[in-house]
Amino acid sequence: MEKAKINAYQLFVLIVLFELGSALMVPLAIEAKQDAWLVILIGMGGGLFLYLIYYSLYYYYPDIPSTEYVQKIMGTTLGRIIAFFYVVYFVYLAARVLRNFGEMLVTFAYPETPLFVINALLIVLVIYTVRKGIEVLSRTGEFLFVFMSFLLISASILVVVGGIIDSNNLRPILADGIQPVMKTVLMHNLYFPFGEVVVFTMILPYLNRSEKAKRTGLMAIGLCGLILSLITAVNISVLGVSLVSRSQYPLLSTIQTVEVAGFLERLDVYFVLAVVIGVFVKIAVFFYVAMEGAANLFAVKESARLVVPIGVVILILSIAVASNFSEFFQEEHRFVHFYVHLPFQVIIPIFLLIIAFFKNRKKSKG
Amino acid sequence: MKRRWMFLFLMLISLLFLSGCWSKKELPELAIISAVGIDKNEEGKFVKTHQFINPNNVAGGLQGGGGGQGPSVSVYTSTGDNILEAHFRASTKVSRRLYHSHANLLVISEEVAREEGIQDILDAFERDPEIRTTMTIVIAKGRKAGDIITSLTSIDRIPAEKVNKTLETTEKMFGEHIKVSIQESISILESSGRELVITGFRQKGDSEKGKKLENIQNSELDATLEADGLAIFKEGKLIDWFHDEDARGVVWILDKVKETNVNIDWEKKKDAIAYQVIRQKTKVSADVKNGKPAITIHVRAEGDIREVVVPVDLTDPKVIANIEKGLGKEIEKELKDSINLAQKNKSDIFGFGETVQRSYPDAWRKMKNNWHDVTFPDLKVNVKVEAFIRRTGLRTNSYLSQMEINR
Amino acid sequence: MFSFFNGKRQTKKNMKKEQNSSDQPNSNTKYPGYIDNTLSTNIDIIRKRTGNSSDIVFRSLKIGRNPEIKTAVVYVKGMVDSQSVNDFLIEPMMNNPALQEKIIPQEVLTIITEEVVALGGVKPVNDWDELFGSLMSGNTIIFIDGVSEALIASTQGGERRSIQESTTYVSVRGPKEAFTESIETNIAMVRRIINNPDLWIESMKLGKMTKTDVSVMYINEIADKEIVKEVHKRLKRIDLDGILESGYIEQLIEDQTLTTFPTLYHTDRPDAVAGNLLEGRIAIFVNGTPFVLLGPAVFIQFFQSVEDYYERYDIATAVRFLRIFIFFISLIGPAVYIAITTFHQEMIPTQLAIIIAAQRESVPFPAFVEALIMEITFEILREAGVRMPKAVGSTISIVGALVIGQAAIQAGIVSPAMVIVVSITAIASFATPSYAVAISARLIRFLFMISAATFGFYGLILALIMLLVHLCSLRSFGVPYMSPIAPFIPGEAGDTFVRKPVWAYKERPRLIATENLIREGKDQRPQPPANRQIDNQNQNIKKGDQNET
Repeated sequence: MEKAKINAYQLFVLIVLFELGSALMVPLAIEAKQDAWLVILIGMGGGLFLYLIYYSLYYYYPDIPSTEYVQKIMGTTLGRIIAFFYVVYFVYLAARVLRNFGEMLVTFAYPETPLFVINALLIVLVIYTVRKGIEVLSRTGEFLFVFMSFLLISASILVVVGGIIDSNNLRPILADGIQPVMKTVLMHNLYFPFGEVVVFTMILPYLNRSEKAKRTGLMAIGLCGLILSLITAVNISVLGVSLVSRSQYPLLSTIQTVEVAGFLERLDVYFVLAVVIGVFVKIAVFFYVAMEGAANLFAVKESARLVVPIGVVILILSIAVASNFSEFFQEEHRFVHFYVHLPFQVIIPIFLLIIAFFKNRKKSKG
Repeated sequence: MKRRWMFLFLMLISLLFLSGCWSKKELPELAIISAVGIDKNEEGKFVKTHQFINPNNVAGGLQGGGGGQGPSVSVYTSTGDNILEAHFRASTKVSRRLYHSHANLLVISEEVAREEGIQDILDAFERDPEIRTTMTIVIAKGRKAGDIITSLTSIDRIPAEKVNKTLETTEKMFGEHIKVSIQESISILESSGRELVITGFRQKGDSEKGKKLENIQNSELDATLEADGLAIFKEGKLIDWFHDEDARGVVWILDKVKETNVNIDWEKKKDAIAYQVIRQKTKVSADVKNGKPAITIHVRAEGDIREVVVPVDLTDPKVIANIEKGLGKEIEKELKDSINLAQKNKSDIFGFGETVQRSYPDAWRKMKNNWHDVTFPDLKVNVKVEAFIRRTGLRTNSYLSQMEINR
Repeated sequence: MFSFFNGKRQTKKNMKKEQNSSDQPNSNTKYPGYIDNTLSTNIDIIRKRTGNSSDIVFRSLKIGRNPEIKTAVVYVKGMVDSQSVNDFLIEPMMNNPALQEKIIPQEVLTIITEEVVALGGVKPVNDWDELFGSLMSGNTIIFIDGVSEALIASTQGGERRSIQESTTYVSVRGPKEAFTESIETNIAMVRRIINNPDLWIESMKLGKMTKTDVSVMYINEIADKEIVKEVHKRLKRIDLDGILESGYIEQLIEDQTLTTFPTLYHTDRPDAVAGNLLEGRIAIFVNGTPFVLLGPAVFIQFFQSVEDYYERYDIATAVRFLRIFIFFISLIGPAVYIAITTFHQEMIPTQLAIIIAAQRESVPFPAFVEALIMEITFEILREAGVRMPKAVGSTISIVGALVIGQAAIQAGIVSPAMVIVVSITAIASFATPSYAVAISARLIRFLFMISAATFGFYGLILALIMLLVHLCSLRSFGVPYMSPIAPFIPGEAGDTFVRKPVWAYKERPRLIATENLIREGKDQRPQPPANRQIDNQNQNIKKGDQNET
């Protein structure tokens, strides 16, 4: 573990940017049609619950990251195996986010540029950042958070002033009952983006005042849920359900629709800026966590040495993960959400928590 | 060790930067398209007409004043089995990269719209990231789309700009036409409870003369472009044109009217009082009783008296109230006429179906399939209009009243 | 891979060390360690040591009766205040009755010190090193034959630039005086502002050859002890032959050298130094330069000028926002133009796109090359303008304006839009209050232009984030460079982009001052008097005055 400390505000900022990351760009929970915003709010509830689980684990082991306490809870051998899979999981997720982001840029702004180059550029930046450590990342995050807020606030002002919101598109609410909503929550939305806070089990030990971890995390997730829900609602009300569900990047389409005062139009750069900021932080966090986890597992003293190898792995994996965008997208929805996210985000942590609970009870009694 | 990584890192960066510039496109390498027209030729192939901007002739007055020496736009046509092929074939004629991002007008000929429908055309426009889906669509009424595209215009040098601005202005000031974008058209096409309405544009005069530069050197143009009527669609195909008050009725129900003028008869004199609507709000709501839907339209209009050609005492609140009542009736009649016409065409251009769907999703599911053909033509529509006169301009009574008294 | 390089470097270092160690004893063998008791030997030693330099003056005097004692006064011409040497040293030594009697050489020193010399500092010395040190810094040495000690009389003076108005940090309101090249004057100027015994000064001589006076100044009660210690540690390890300007020291003690951004603040205004000392910073004075270093520095400091604190806070805030905006323009102005015109033409409104396209039709270069030509032309002009004698400077600007503004456009080499962009960028880079930050922006601007030319906005955004990461990773004496914005410190954000009213500055920056944070008393916000009597009275008088007579 690096000798570094971050404060509660920095943790808050990191969680917010991390959660917004790629969730800003893709259509979220659109399986539930015009109730997507509701799905996100409920998913946020689930996310809060998951965070409490992670927090409880942190509460038992406030000084060590999850890859280490897994070994304490499950025993060294089994713990190491699980920890290793977590590291792989983080690398894999980083690669997926990178791929998704690269696809977005190639599709909409740089059609002639190879995907590899787009991805490589971002990974170079992330390598540079991660080398500098978590403190620099979180300080940068503070700045980016200000930019992001500025972007979101001014964009929402523009959307409102532009008069393109047609709230009729959000009606009827719950036309098919609550069932499809809950189904979407459980199948998709709980895991992406909310369940992904599981990476912060690796970052929480850096917090300088551990008593603030709970409140900060819950507030950050709550804020993200609200923002994402609002953005989805705006997307649907501007574009209509069917267009959102057919769009690869609905927020982009919404922003492109904005026309204010005859010259504030074609604000695509807003979208690009927001997404680059979010995705940068998201990949950097995944990357950092994977690096620290790997360093911890393989007893590498200077974790910065792993930066370039892991960066290259993420880059190659991001290209190799799917051969085209449809495959990538279907994989995400059919496979990753249920078979990858569910065990890593929900099942294993709950399991760990139960064992940790009994172990620590014994200890305190003894 | 550290040095070596740094070295690799720098190599990687320089490699990336040196080999860059994939998506680079310099402005002078671009042929900026301002408008696109879609026709069909005898062989059934798409004919795509591109209107390119000649920046030097538009920007004008710069660098020794090259402006105005040539036409502000150049037009190239190309054919293909689908839109994309026609698009690429254009590159055999144009020396530069076709650049769509500034195109803001899509003209579709009436013929194509009637026979083929517009749904086959729009996908290419929606999918391409370079094309803006906020681009306006108009139907070339009675002519080929190419004629609209080639016609030169005065005041606004770029014809596409002229069409767009005309639409914006007339939608705002007169309310018989509406500006519809590709994105809106697609979402209407997708919807089961609404049909499409697109404004028609007509070229008046000789289309050959319209192409020439002399055309815009006259004070009255030989060939002009003007908005004319609303094209009514059913399942993506053009079926009818609405004109004048009928067209305005449609726009009114869609709540797109901002300002317009309404004339009413007074004391047997036809169209004696002209009333200008300054602002209005139209609300459409639906009711379903015993499985039968009913629509209520509520219009609330506010405005001024702008012209009076009969002696009438405008200082009397009672008279004003009477005029208001008359105005209400007049507007109501206009709206009902439009609705009847649409019902005859069996095309729910007002989106009443969507209104029902929003309020009664369950009932809608049952009537969805035969809405346009069975339910809509017999739909009961209540129209309630409240018109308010707020002011009467700079004068109270007309000089006509004084003349009557004096003589 | 690099092993043989390393080996080479190693040997070089070793050689240097050997040289160094062989230097040291050599210089000591030239003269004995202590002063001899014969006058002529001493004078010979000085002559030899200084290579008979013509600016060293030896004035022989004879004092006492039976026997007369030979004495000599030695000083460096131009370094001493010759008036005080004549009036208060030589003249009394010749005429003072105390020296006209019979005296023994051993007593002379005390007599001269206590009765004759009318100067502030007189002290005996017997060590050659110290003697040469003070002789070279402008003191006068008195030798007495038969005494193995000499007297040092402080007569430092000579021609120096007088205190003038600052030319680098100009302000409309506020004190006009600026530091000079003399360290004593400079320190005194700060003392004059902070009249407090807690203002501590520690001096040392740095530079093997130049023996430059360097002083560290801080306020004992406020400055962080750890940082003071760190400053000392870093200064102590400086081993250089010469220090000609504070820039030498800056480069030797900064936290990170691989950056274009200054991590130490420098100024030539005493009020700026005083203000920073009060915030807990540490000032480093170097003799021979008007520029004083201040640390730890934070990034936002370079966008603040002392005048901000003298102006009204609302105006100062607006100006600060403007400066940040200006900085951004000077950083990314041309890059944004390149990105838009070569990658994202859809972002320009159609009319503007047509105008720019029309201008660029005849330009034979890609936008990037065009921008590069203009930027480089501008840099040439600027460099020429700075180095030129003032009389020629105006010619340069006229020629430059013609070249950039007129001819280049008419020749069709650049487009007018590009000229606008480059000129705005140029003006913006002059408007940044700190020259140190402005020149770093000037350099980074080219990097941004390259990244924008290869990957458009994407490249530009990545480059910006990279810059941000870099800035966030910097530290100045351990204080994060971007504080108090990142890490965000709520209480201090009031002195960053915004400038709080003076009554709201309750605390000092806590990363810099660490202890003794309370800056001002409670209830500093001015309250209008509850009793309006005085106002009314005044009004009455005025009313009476204004009545027609």
